[in-house]
Amino acid sequence: MSNFKVLEIKQNVFENNNRLADSLRKDLKKDKTFLLNLMSSPGSGKTTTLTKTINSLKDEMNIGVIEADIDSSVDANTIFQTGAKVIQLHTGGMCHLDAGMTKQGLIGLGTKEIDFAILENVGNLVCPAEFDTGASKNAMILSVPEGDDKPLKYPLMFSIVDVLLINKIDVIEHFDFDLEAVKERAMKLNPNIKIIPISARTGEGIDEWVDWIRTEVKKWNS
Amino acid sequence: MHELGVVIEVVKTVEKFAAANHLVKIDTLVLQIGELSSMIPRYIKECYPAAVDGTILQDTELKIEIIPGNAICKDCNKVFNIIKNNGKCPCCKSKNWDLLSGKEFFIKEIVAC
Ligand SMILES: Nc1nc2c(ncn2[C@@H]2O[C@H](COP(=O)(O)OP(=O)(O)O)[C@@H](O)[C@H]2O)c(=O)[nH]1
Ligand SMILES: [Mg+2]
Ligand SMILES: [Zn+2]
Repeated sequence: MSNFKVLEIKQNVFENNNRLADSLRKDLKKDKTFLLNLMSSPGSGKTTTLTKTINSLKDEMNIGVIEADIDSSVDANTIFQTGAKVIQLHTGGMCHLDAGMTKQGLIGLGTKEIDFAILENVGNLVCPAEFDTGASKNAMILSVPEGDDKPLKYPLMFSIVDVLLINKIDVIEHFDFDLEAVKERAMKLNPNIKIIPISARTGEGIDEWVDWIRTEVKKWNS
Repeated sequence: MHELGVVIEVVKTVEKFAAANHLVKIDTLVLQIGELSSMIPRYIKECYPAAVDGTILQDTELKIEIIPGNAICKDCNKVFNIIKNNGKCPCCKSKNWDLLSGKEFFIKEIVAC
């Protein structure tokens, strides 16, 4: 025991990942690839929303998708049907994606030809919020059946995203879901958040969402 | 299990540090966790043995130091604990404060040779 000594490390656990994420963002900017990190609980509609989004935008830009959700063999297939380039990441049961795994996915896609890349993150509202993936922008989906108290339970997620999509708005009348309360709770955590109610089923609100993407892709790639 | 992924991140950092400093054996790892961070010390302790299995941190002791969630009141300059005082300054009841500490998640030190 006598040879043991105390060695100070004093390092933020997220520092390595943050550094890699920043360098990834720089590369994406150089390659003119806008990367969107899409997060949500399982089943809130990421894959369905992506399908609608790709169909609206595929004639204007080259789109690539990195699939990391648990059901992803099914999801990757669904996305493949749209004609977008899709790559499947094997996360080995990890609860989140970090910048290193995202980089692997981007290498697989080949960002040189992609204008708009989307990362379907692991379905979970906690861990993905802690890890910067290197994305240009972050979005989350909250679906009506999950309840209007989610911003209170997962404050970090709501405070780091640029856009909040409130999905399954077509079934709102069947749920005790207070849309205004959600907006207020989210704005309190994140005054700059953009909130768009959508239905990936009926297409309601998708135009506004797609417009937001168009503007951001143009800004990033100009 | 949210804590597992984070402990794996810790292992990566310590492995790098150990290699750079030519360490052969680690005895203890000390983490500092803020009261307001999303990490729960009890869960970290629970998943630690499994997360470090087969790494340089296998069979090490884990110590966790808690950093209080403190704020300074912008109205009267009092420093107080946010959780104990329900987010309000205990002197003037103001909700107008700046966070001083409590969101950290640090690897503080290791005992090694
Ligand atoms: N009613 C309704 N159902 C939806 C909507 N969007 C998705 N769903 C359904 O919700 C389920 C989960 O959707 P999916 O896109 O696979 O979610 P993911 O796990 O987040 O990728 C599927 O059965 C979808 O058909 C919507 O806007 N309204
Ligand atoms: Mg999916
Ligand atoms: Zn005060």
